[in-house]
Amino acid sequence: MRSGAETVTDVETAEVDPPWEGLTGAELHAACMHAARAGDRLAMNRLVAELTPLVWHVARGNGLDRHTAEDVVQTVWLALFTHLESLHDPKALAAWLITTTRREAQRPHGRKTPPLPLTDEFAESMPSTQPAPEDEAIRADRDRRIWQAFTRLPQRCQELLRMTVLAGRAEYQLVADALRIPRGSVGPTRGRCLNQLRDLLSSEGGVR
Amino acid sequence: MTDIGGSTGSISSDDQVLLADLGRMLDETDPPPGDLVERVQFAIALENLDVEVARWERMDALSGVRGGGQGTITFTVSDLTVMINLTKVGQRHRIDGWLVPAGEYGVEVRVAEHGSSCTTADEGGRFVLDEVPCGTTQIVVTVGDVSCLRTVVTPTIVL
Repeated sequence: MRSGAETVTDVETAEVDPPWEGLTGAELHAACMHAARAGDRLAMNRLVAELTPLVWHVARGNGLDRHTAEDVVQTVWLALFTHLESLHDPKALAAWLITTTRREAQRPHGRKTPPLPLTDEFAESMPSTQPAPEDEAIRADRDRRIWQAFTRLPQRCQELLRMTVLAGRAEYQLVADALRIPRGSVGPTRGRCLNQLRDLLSSEGGVR
Repeated sequence: MTDIGGSTGSISSDDQVLLADLGRMLDETDPPPGDLVERVQFAIALENLDVEVARWERMDALSGVRGGGQGTITFTVSDLTVMINLTKVGQRHRIDGWLVPAGEYGVEVRVAEHGSSCTTADEGGRFVLDEVPCGTTQIVVTVGDVSCLRTVVTPTIVL
């Protein structure tokens, strides 16, 4: 599988598996970036499918509303493929995406969410008035309280916790690398953010 | 839950439980829009990817434009402003556009699954495209002269 990455051409045939087939994480990104530099659209599409959730959560974690976040996600991907030549190390891809998304989110054009945001969005996603099995109703109620507490955290905490959640998933191990989790000061900061979240939850009659 | 800390980190089981709750909540409450990956893939399906991306200047009063099919949208990038006014005509749109600074630049409107329409702005920077189908839409402007052509694209919008 791995050796295939060295023989990429810009000609794709339906019969042949792409060279990144079966790869994950940094190896997948390396194979896709290599092919993308040669103009392979399938490789670009694969990177987009793989990493759009990361870009999305960084945009949202930096206070952008959902519509603005959608635009920023597109802008970041267009910027990546415009600058692909200058990004040599596949291991730097996640860090590049995170940094570029943050910078883009902080532009004055970005419309920020109001201080107590997203209640409409939340209401849309939570079918609270429908009869539901009791455990589902309890879970939905708990999710609602976690969301309300979460949106009252400082933005820095919201971003860090979103990325921590992603970093805990096997397919996003690269986020942990990009954030240098657990080395450095990320761990203690994350701990303080979680404590703040707990305080907010208990002050509202608390989940735990 | 995966052990984030690995062998050197320390994360209490309380924290792990809360993070797991948080992860489930974010998946249900704030996932990326279902069509976002497709829209990005459409936005990058350009012949030439050496582009500058114009940003959508959004004002609250116009935030209803998305999906509403009417109104004015302004995009800017460095020294170029692209304004478009949308008028819904049946199932299609008429796009009246202005480029500032003005110039006889090429304008292409790409609509997913509907190909693209091309025109050239007049010397006042104005252009008109009739009969633009609804769907995921991107505007591509080619500015400059033969010695230095630049391509400016917008993020996709759903009209």
